[in-house]
Amino acid sequence: MSGARRQRPPTMIAGPTREAGDPAVPDGPADPAAVRVGVAASSRQEGDPAITLAPAPDPVTRLPQDGSPEPRLPLVDGVATAVSLERFGDSRARLTEPAADGAAGGALRTDVLLGPVRIDRARGTRVREVVVDGWRIDVEVEFERRAVLRERARRSAGTVSLGGPVEIRAIIPGRVVAVTVAVGDNVEAGQQVLVVEAMKMQNELRAPREGSVERIGVAVGDTIEVGDLLVVIH
Amino acid sequence: MTPPFSRILVANRGEIALRIIRAAHELGMQAVAVYSDADATAAHVRAADAAVRLGPAAPAESYLRIDAVVAAALASGAEAVHPGYGFLSERAAFAQAVVDAGLAFVGPSPATIAALGDKLAARRTARSAGVPHVPGTLEPAPVDRPDQLEAVLAAAEVVGFPLLVKAAAGGGGRGMRRVVSADGLPAALVAGSREAVAAFGDGSVYLEREIMPARHVEVQLLGDATGQVIALGERDCSTQRRHQKLIEEAPAPGLSEVERRRLHAMAVRLGIAAGLQNAATAEFLYDRDGSFWFLEVNTRLQVEHPVTELVAGLDIVVEQFRLASGAPLSRGALAAAERAARPTTHAIEVRISAEDPARVFAPAPGRITRWAMPAGPGVRVDTAVEAGDRIPAEYDPLICKLIVHAGDRPAALRRLRRALAETEIGGIQTTLPFHRAMVEEPDFVGASGLSTTWVDAHWDGPVSRARAVRVAILAAGLAELGETAGGPGGTLPQTGQDDARHESGPPSRDGSVPAWRTAGRAFAVDRWPR
Repeated sequence: MSGARRQRPPTMIAGPTREAGDPAVPDGPADPAAVRVGVAASSRQEGDPAITLAPAPDPVTRLPQDGSPEPRLPLVDGVATAVSLERFGDSRARLTEPAADGAAGGALRTDVLLGPVRIDRARGTRVREVVVDGWRIDVEVEFERRAVLRERARRSAGTVSLGGPVEIRAIIPGRVVAVTVAVGDNVEAGQQVLVVEAMKMQNELRAPREGSVERIGVAVGDTIEVGDLLVVIH
Repeated sequence: MTPPFSRILVANRGEIALRIIRAAHELGMQAVAVYSDADATAAHVRAADAAVRLGPAAPAESYLRIDAVVAAALASGAEAVHPGYGFLSERAAFAQAVVDAGLAFVGPSPATIAALGDKLAARRTARSAGVPHVPGTLEPAPVDRPDQLEAVLAAAEVVGFPLLVKAAAGGGGRGMRRVVSADGLPAALVAGSREAVAAFGDGSVYLEREIMPARHVEVQLLGDATGQVIALGERDCSTQRRHQKLIEEAPAPGLSEVERRRLHAMAVRLGIAAGLQNAATAEFLYDRDGSFWFLEVNTRLQVEHPVTELVAGLDIVVEQFRLASGAPLSRGALAAAERAARPTTHAIEVRISAEDPARVFAPAPGRITRWAMPAGPGVRVDTAVEAGDRIPAEYDPLICKLIVHAGDRPAALRRLRRALAETEIGGIQTTLPFHRAMVEEPDFVGASGLSTTWVDAHWDGPVSRARAVRVAILAAGLAELGETAGGPGGTLPQTGQDDARHESGPPSRDGSVPAWRTAGRAFAVDRWPR
């Protein structure tokens, strides 16, 4: 039974400068076929994971006395895992994975809908919508080697200043019905700064931290879209 | 038989406009649609025999314009106006304007709307009809008179905390605020009043005791010009979030025939007291002690009317048109009322909305890229959208009502589970994951724990989503590996199977050539100038 092997913890090879919360970045060369898969920015929420997925490694030299070969499993974060995907045409598939609590012989099958692949040229990634149990998730895929380079570059760019300006951006589209602060006002963390009406509900937007209002990008009556800059607090 | 009218106008949009147009066509009437710029190509416009533009997308400049709607009805030669739900449906001024223009209003009379649609007036009517109402104030709170704050606070102490600030003109939880202590009351009054002005154009708010835990049970009423009022049965709409109903069913589970008769009689008394003609719904809270407390009356067609239609075997919109033309209650409606206390089937409706159940049901408008609705026995889908449609941010997030009908509640739940599994929506986030989780919840399946606070106690959106995220990234990654490897159909080899992807050496015995060999030739052929 190969169950024991599956239970092995993920192989983490961390560089010496790795800080808590940073993803593990292997120092050695990554498998050229390996991909980094995570939730794309358009539907990412806090705590969403990312995984590295590599095809089953090519078989090492086999000797006749080895007997029948072991099933060749893809590597999820470096661990051979019994996951597989059955495709039904372009847009439907079924994922089979081992049952979560390691029950013997248990396998979980989940139907998924796969959207067409879009190329995100700005980020150099491939993005596709996946619908699972009614959840719509944009998934971003890039080659592991590229992801490693990008992360190294970002890490060497230094840390983010905690005292810098904070931008409040729209997370829902709607219409601004009230602006309750003015430029130059001092605000406290949690203080209401805007009221946005979306789908007939009034949504109060609050300051994420204390500071003074540096800029207000909208006025009462403006229609806003997701990502629009609303207020800058310094 | 002759149609009640020859041409009617539907003063609404979305699924309810389409549903009313369908009834009109089945009765042999022509239907006129109205639309805003955001809906110029919408399904209700396409389904209607004629359509009139009202104005820009904002409701205040289109669907809420009484003058424009009445002008459209007169210009198009309509004889009656059906308001649907929401928008102008419960404005006495609108009903009056329609009547003044010499047209029939498909709904209760302006006087009844004023007496029942204003929640404060409805509470006073209930008291006069001897129907117990939820304890609270019977006059609007003086929001714009800071000098009278003392009086409001005194009234609040009598009602008791926690209490609810509610909009007199309200509905759907808009303008409503929960207040736990006297400190929070002034701010809640102002915020509730402001939201009420934005939503209904009327900022009157009042105080009401919070009855908790409680079930939300409502009775469908029909009345005619002779003064007769009947109850078609009750619905349970306890599954709510932020006072927005999510799931409704008929009949209300667990009620005895005696309780049903008592509830229906109370609702009918209210309807008679208010001189109800046409359709309305009396809403009650049903507490753990088995008492019914009158909440409010909606003087219009309800979103969830289909569950009553299926159990009663009656088309309520068709009845509305007949009643509006002056006909008495039909034989079918009277027979349905006879059966109402002893229902023999069960129906459940779930509201699928463009909202993100992982982010406290925040609105999630956008463009639908994929849309496959369930079908098969006992399944009804009321919707007006399809793949390619954009869900505008200006209107209600409800995009689809999925209704199932079966012999009893367990069978209806099994049917609902099956229908939800068939439903496929892409491009926008909807409440579908919530509904799928609900039909698996033992408390909901057993109907034992139904209450208006049930959702917050049982639903953990982020946990449900996290499970889906893991599956989604594995599936997308595996699909990508399969595609970049150029394997047959993009499928990774199945566990325990021979690896067919790593073909090499001579062509296999059946004569087919491995893909990698032909790839070079195809490339050369493609590049050759033709």
